[in-house]
Amino acid sequence: MNADLLSNWLEWLPDLGRGLQTSVLLAAVSLAIGIPIGLLLAVLVSSRRAAIRMPSIVLVEIGRGTPALVVLQLVYFGLPNAGLTLGPFTAASAALALTTAAYTSEIIRGGLEAVPKGEVEASQALGMSYRDTMRFVLIPQGMRIAIPALVGFGILMFQATSLAFTISLQELLSRAYSIGSSTFLYFQVLLLAGVLYLAITLPSGWLTGRLERRLSRHL
Amino acid sequence: MEHVSAVLLGVPYTLLVTVVALAIGAVLGLPLALARRSPLAVLNVPARVVIDVLRGIPPVVWLFIIFFGIGNQFVTLDPIQAGSLGLGLISAAYLAEIYRSGLGAVHSGQWEASSALGLSRTDSMVRVVGPQAFRVALPAASTYAIGLLKDSSVVSAIGVADIVFQATGDSRATGAALAPFLVAAAIYILLGTPLAIASRRMDSRLRMRVAR
Amino acid sequence: MEIVRDPQTRTGSDAVDVRASAQPTDRLEVSRKGPPVVSLKGLSKHYGENVVLDKVDLDVSAGEVVAMVGPSGAGKSTLLRCINLLEVPDAGTVTVGDQCVDAGKEVSAKDAMRLRRTAGMVFQSFNLFPHLTVLRNVSLAQERVLGRSRAEADARSMELLERVHLAHKADTYPARSSGGQQQRIAIARALAMDPQVMLFDEPTSALDPEVGLEVLAVMRELAESGMTMIVVTHEIPFARDVSDRVVVMADGGIIEQGEPHQVINNPQHERSQRFLRAVTER
Ligand SMILES: Nc1ncnc2c1ncn2[C@@H]1O[C@H](COP(=O)(O)OP(=O)(O)O)[C@@H](O)[C@H]1O
Ligand SMILES: [Mg+2]
Repeated sequence: MNADLLSNWLEWLPDLGRGLQTSVLLAAVSLAIGIPIGLLLAVLVSSRRAAIRMPSIVLVEIGRGTPALVVLQLVYFGLPNAGLTLGPFTAASAALALTTAAYTSEIIRGGLEAVPKGEVEASQALGMSYRDTMRFVLIPQGMRIAIPALVGFGILMFQATSLAFTISLQELLSRAYSIGSSTFLYFQVLLLAGVLYLAITLPSGWLTGRLERRLSRHL
Repeated sequence: MEHVSAVLLGVPYTLLVTVVALAIGAVLGLPLALARRSPLAVLNVPARVVIDVLRGIPPVVWLFIIFFGIGNQFVTLDPIQAGSLGLGLISAAYLAEIYRSGLGAVHSGQWEASSALGLSRTDSMVRVVGPQAFRVALPAASTYAIGLLKDSSVVSAIGVADIVFQATGDSRATGAALAPFLVAAAIYILLGTPLAIASRRMDSRLRMRVAR
Repeated sequence: MEIVRDPQTRTGSDAVDVRASAQPTDRLEVSRKGPPVVSLKGLSKHYGENVVLDKVDLDVSAGEVVAMVGPSGAGKSTLLRCINLLEVPDAGTVTVGDQCVDAGKEVSAKDAMRLRRTAGMVFQSFNLFPHLTVLRNVSLAQERVLGRSRAEADARSMELLERVHLAHKADTYPARSSGGQQQRIAIARALAMDPQVMLFDEPTSALDPEVGLEVLAVMRELAESGMTMIVVTHEIPFARDVSDRVVVMADGGIIEQGEPHQVINNPQHERSQRFLRAVTER
């Protein structure tokens, strides 16, 4: 069985490797779109004006309260009813970017709040405007503080790409499942898929740990 | 409106899977956390590997491995069993890390003070450090529980008749694809919000008590 | 609140205009110096039930160095923070240079910022920006607030860093400097805005005594250069040797003030006696 398993894995690897590429690309696109929106939401949620703050909080809470899977179904299956049809990759990117924006806005807000209050006072005492204080003092440091948590979230987002299986995007899990259904070797092929996910998530996890230690040393 | 009643049918299943998975995770997470903290490599290395592997593979992949992989070729499990077990094991890993950081947050002076008073290691853990760690870990654990309620939606992929499963079925049956999923989203938000409020309240109350 | 041009100096183009507001005064040390740069009238501030400042009046003349002492909780920090509007007073007026703020009237963010930049502030905890180099720390607000070009700002920053003897640190990050060095950088940063008055809130309290001396030396040079300064401090030798006037605060008010040796060696008020004995005899 072991020799069998190995030869099977070698046979499936090219196909699953392409699936992994799609998964990684999807995660990268979602994060690249979602995090800047998350930053914007974080700034809006930190606003002193209730008219800006309140709607932003509601938006973020709805985004965080809805499972990524549901957002995905809404975008892929639901939007065509509203006249907007997206391909699987675009739909998955849009859905995961929305989820990313909602979650990372809270992570980034945490970062912004972790910047010592004295530095904000120092900027005020120098006569700097709220905008400039945000732009030159709070955001650069808040983002830096948020980096480990953002990387951690990125790993979860990469895992969440497997949900795109439900909209038949040819990512890693879809490919593994279709090999399983044609060979009935579900266990073996899904195990390989699991190993491939680990090949990305484990090193990234170690990286987060080191990043966290590195950053805490410098601040 | 008919979408609402259709999708609501999934709520008991969502709750069932979430609660069972949490129970499994809460119990199995404890030995995992203690092993992870052990100074003995034979305990902490395997514990670390188990935790990292459980957390490093997407939940839906675990469910597929258990339901289609193990289920087809080894022991047969029904979707609810497979779903609860899979999410339970993953929860054990996450909760183990939460317990561990709770234990780590208790000042080492507490251990020293307990042993200086002649308490055994077990007594120190059960009577002194454990209760303090519990308070520290509770907010993170409840945040995790709220997250699990939403993440449990992946069990629909192996056929558990939960909220998302019902929404999918309803949209197929009625041809309306937007409404059922909007209803599903609303239900998740309505289920999660009271939990979030309760946990925030509990958190601030406990924090006040610890601070005093 | 509202910021208006101080009527006394309206005729002058510059903030400190001797012709416009020089008035005979009865205080010896004030007559030696110029016209008031900071003028507080009936300044009050409370947090809930807690009255932190109770109708405080204080005039500080151009070039004058005022040392402010008093027990913890007296309201010294709050007073300084009201001068540059980090706290908004409940009642009274704050005049800094030719900017006047009247509590109780609406104050626009723009006016508040204009007042703030006429007063430089040095905090107990330095509050440097850790993600910027020392040079950028000093240059940032010059560019954003005063509209100086980067080259102009950096040149001015280097001048000031030289003045606090830290030019060699310009391209490093603040974390690479000692506490005393960081506080000197913070002084340079505040000076870069060309303030008319410098406010110091216990600038040496977070420092080792020895390191604190470096900072006090820089402050002494600053005082000798003619800068108007209000210094909250527990450093009695500094108050005695460098300041022109010692002000004792307790329970939200000024209970005693006067010539430094007089106040320190021979305080009149029972509360000042108790406090000064505690700081001088430790
Ligand atoms: N932001 C605040 N909210 C409530 N009370 C405050 C605040 N800042 C200062 N206080 C209170 O005001 C009083 C004076 O404080 P402070 O000006 O810091 O005194 P000092 O600097 O002389 O030690 C204290 O009783 C303090 O508790
Ligand atoms: Mg103070």
